[in-house]
Amino acid sequence: MHTIIQGVILGILTGGVYALMAGGQTLIFGIMKVVNLAQGAMVILSAYLSYTLFTSAGIDPFLAVLITTPAMFCLGVAVQWLFLRQLRREDAAELSILVTFAIALAVEGVLSVVYSTSYRSINASYANTSFTVGGYQVSAVRLYAFLLSVGVLGLLYLLLHRTRFGRAVRATVQNPEAARLLGVEPARIRALGFGLGTATAAAAGSVFGLIYPFNAGSHYDLISQLLSVVVLGGLGSLGGAVVAGVIIGVSSSVVAVAWSPTWSQFTFFVVLLAVLLIRPRGLFGTVLRGAL
Amino acid sequence: MTALLNLDSIVAGYGAGDILKGVDLNVSEGDVTCLIGPNGAGKSTVLKAVSGLLRPKTGRVLFCGDDVTGLGPKAKLLRGIVHVPQDRSLFPAMTVWDNLLMAGYLKRDTKALKSRIDTVAGLFPIVVQRRTAHAGSLSGGEQKQVELARTLLFDPKLILLDEPSIGLDPKSRRLVFEAVGQLAADGRTVLLVEQNARSGLAASDRGVVLEAGMVRLTGTGQALLADPEVARLYLGAAARPVTTTTTPGGTE
Ligand SMILES: Nc1ncnc2c1ncn2[C@@H]1O[C@H](COP(=O)(O)OP(=O)(O)O)[C@@H](O)[C@H]1O
Ligand SMILES: [Mg+2]
Repeated sequence: MHTIIQGVILGILTGGVYALMAGGQTLIFGIMKVVNLAQGAMVILSAYLSYTLFTSAGIDPFLAVLITTPAMFCLGVAVQWLFLRQLRREDAAELSILVTFAIALAVEGVLSVVYSTSYRSINASYANTSFTVGGYQVSAVRLYAFLLSVGVLGLLYLLLHRTRFGRAVRATVQNPEAARLLGVEPARIRALGFGLGTATAAAAGSVFGLIYPFNAGSHYDLISQLLSVVVLGGLGSLGGAVVAGVIIGVSSSVVAVAWSPTWSQFTFFVVLLAVLLIRPRGLFGTVLRGAL
Repeated sequence: MTALLNLDSIVAGYGAGDILKGVDLNVSEGDVTCLIGPNGAGKSTVLKAVSGLLRPKTGRVLFCGDDVTGLGPKAKLLRGIVHVPQDRSLFPAMTVWDNLLMAGYLKRDTKALKSRIDTVAGLFPIVVQRRTAHAGSLSGGEQKQVELARTLLFDPKLILLDEPSIGLDPKSRRLVFEAVGQLAADGRTVLLVEQNARSGLAASDRGVVLEAGMVRLTGTGQALLADPEVARLYLGAAARPVTTTTTPGGTE
């Protein structure tokens, strides 16, 4: 029982970080109907940025977030403007898969040239620190990463629900033509929205290297996990991504401690298939569709 | 009365073919002008060409005497043209209140907007009664009222209303036509597209008949209602006089 609860704690902490990465992706899907296969590569790119800031300037990854997030926001806006803007609405969903996969490969290629293919990780002074709460071990790094994720997701929620820009984003998701008729320029919203989704990934990417070793090819595993989370939560549903991130985090970590870590990766897909058999649109696919 | 809006040989379409084949149309300031015609005639397309959702291939759109042909919806909105499209134009998962606030997206003056919401709520009390409800949870008639209320928040010079009564129950239809009557009484300029030609013409100062992308007939609302040709084609029966006050919602 003790190990199961230990697994649940770990799973919630990890799930929060998945929720953050997947939240950015589901946001992009909601706004643009683009399945962004480059989201994993953006996380890894941000992880390398943070790695460089740490190794060459001694900047802590949790501080580096303040640099990587705005930088990746700008990159996201630029990528959307250069490569995705021209896609016509009718076939955006299909073509975007090819385009964003190409972007992922390009990012991977550049990273493997610049950093070679060996695995990196960020060894902060507190990397092995853990707290003991009621007999359970809580890793400091994972706890901080979880808190960061909750904070960023909270800010994202406030941005979408309490600001003029956020209202315009949600309006564009729910009824693009009506939004245009109220003076919203969808091209602008799409570019900024893609930037926002990428920045969200970047926040998670910044601290990724504290938890997992990574190399340029790590984005393949990551994107398959993120897609599982996004589809499980229901494409385009931010709340769904959060719930799904935690469900998947908890189930894979419980499987890892109860049986074997080898099976934990597999859990992603088992949970996903089980839910999709019952709810083909994902957990919140019908309830919150278009709600963001 | 001067022409507020002036369409001059507008040709427009969605791809290779032209839907509008040279439309000439004037809307006088302070008038409610009703555009009628069979399904697919291009009535909605006319409104899109005016609001900037669709860019005319040739021809000119003059508003207050200025050439505004190539301008998009945002620029048109800033000049005072508001388009209420045929399809639902609310944001279903946003609250009624947030839907209203979207009218302030361009002009960021929240204080002025809120005081206008108070004024408009006099005409459409639903916007305050249901302010925290999700727009998608309202009935069709209630949604249309919120759309009309949001339109008035712009204090528009010209309102483009595309089939506001379509798909509504008789009671909501009556409310919509009452609202149109109220707009007319306030001296607002409205270009109204109406499937229900009888009620539409009865509520309007002038009528325009569009057929296959061309203007066939124009005249006062009453004259078109009395026209035997119009009656045969669009009123479904021999002409009979109808007034706004007795059968505003239409009875057929
Ligand atoms: N977005 C669109 N893309 C292509 N064709 C369209 C589009 N909207 C309307 N049409 C076509 O244009 C014609 C006129 O449509 P519309 O202006 O909506 O007619 P009305 O409002 O008079 O019923 C129709 O044949 C319709 O099929
Ligand atoms: Mg129409």
